[in-house]
Amino acid sequence: MMKTKQQPSCTNKKPEPPLAGAFKERCTGGTSFKKFYERGDFPIALEHDTKGNKIAWKVEIEKLDYHHYLPLFFDGLCETSHPYEFFARQGVHDMLEHGGSKILPVIPQLIIPIKNALNTRCHKVLCTTLKVLQHLVVSAEMVGEALVPYYRQILPVMNIFKNKNLNSGDGIDYSQQKRENVGDLIQETLEAFERYGGEDAFINIKYMVPTYESCMLN
Amino acid sequence: MATAVRMPSANQPKSMTRPTRWNEEVEEAYRFQIAGYRDEIEYREVQKTDHVDRWPHNGYVKKLVRRDGCFYYYNRTRECPDKQINKTKLYEY
Repeated sequence: MMKTKQQPSCTNKKPEPPLAGAFKERCTGGTSFKKFYERGDFPIALEHDTKGNKIAWKVEIEKLDYHHYLPLFFDGLCETSHPYEFFARQGVHDMLEHGGSKILPVIPQLIIPIKNALNTRCHKVLCTTLKVLQHLVVSAEMVGEALVPYYRQILPVMNIFKNKNLNSGDGIDYSQQKRENVGDLIQETLEAFERYGGEDAFINIKYMVPTYESCMLN
Repeated sequence: MATAVRMPSANQPKSMTRPTRWNEEVEEAYRFQIAGYRDEIEYREVQKTDHVDRWPHNGYVKKLVRRDGCFYYYNRTRECPDKQINKTKLYEY
């Protein structure tokens, strides 16, 4: 009687494709902001007892070279540790608030730091960067329109996270109150881009973020 | 030991109150006190200037010079949070 050799039962499992990591946080390594801050190159004074969360400037902001300092502060938006994160965020805020016409010529140099900050996919960095972008488009005239050619560099990450909203049923989402809900922040940012981006803004946003609906045309 | 005698300036406040609700006067006082001054009168005495940088659309303080020479910049809109209102001091002369 011949015994047939039984084939070992193979599981026939298909090898799974590796994860793409679209939502995975990525580490940035050291930023030039951190390096310059530790060298003491920034005209800001370290405070330990302020109650107003302000930074003290050693030099008047109006006299600063925006071409040099503003991209450096934007580079610090990737930072998550104290005090780098605080100084970068507050420094960008102060420079945008008081920059006036000095901001527009620097826009091309800000795109790479903005793109790097958005590419970290870190929740906190994303929230900070989106709020900075909203401030940027209203900080001076024509800034919104100047950003339109760079939408294809900064909007892809917004497309990924646009639907990142918390489905809590009838619960309360406190991140909305604190403006830390990424989906809502992206929506606000895209609406600000459309409002201040001129006539071509909507079509360019729609090209990169197809699910975005106009807040002005409807 | 002789103690240092501090000559009182002409504009010393007579009383101090703590506000309970926010208004523009509280916002003004908050901005000066953040920078280390009692109010605009002391700022003008210390900095020896009559000019205070203000936002044109609402008159809020925009920029102050601290005693150590550093600059503080303030937002266009309200900065005084609710929890700091009762820590702000309103002086009367």
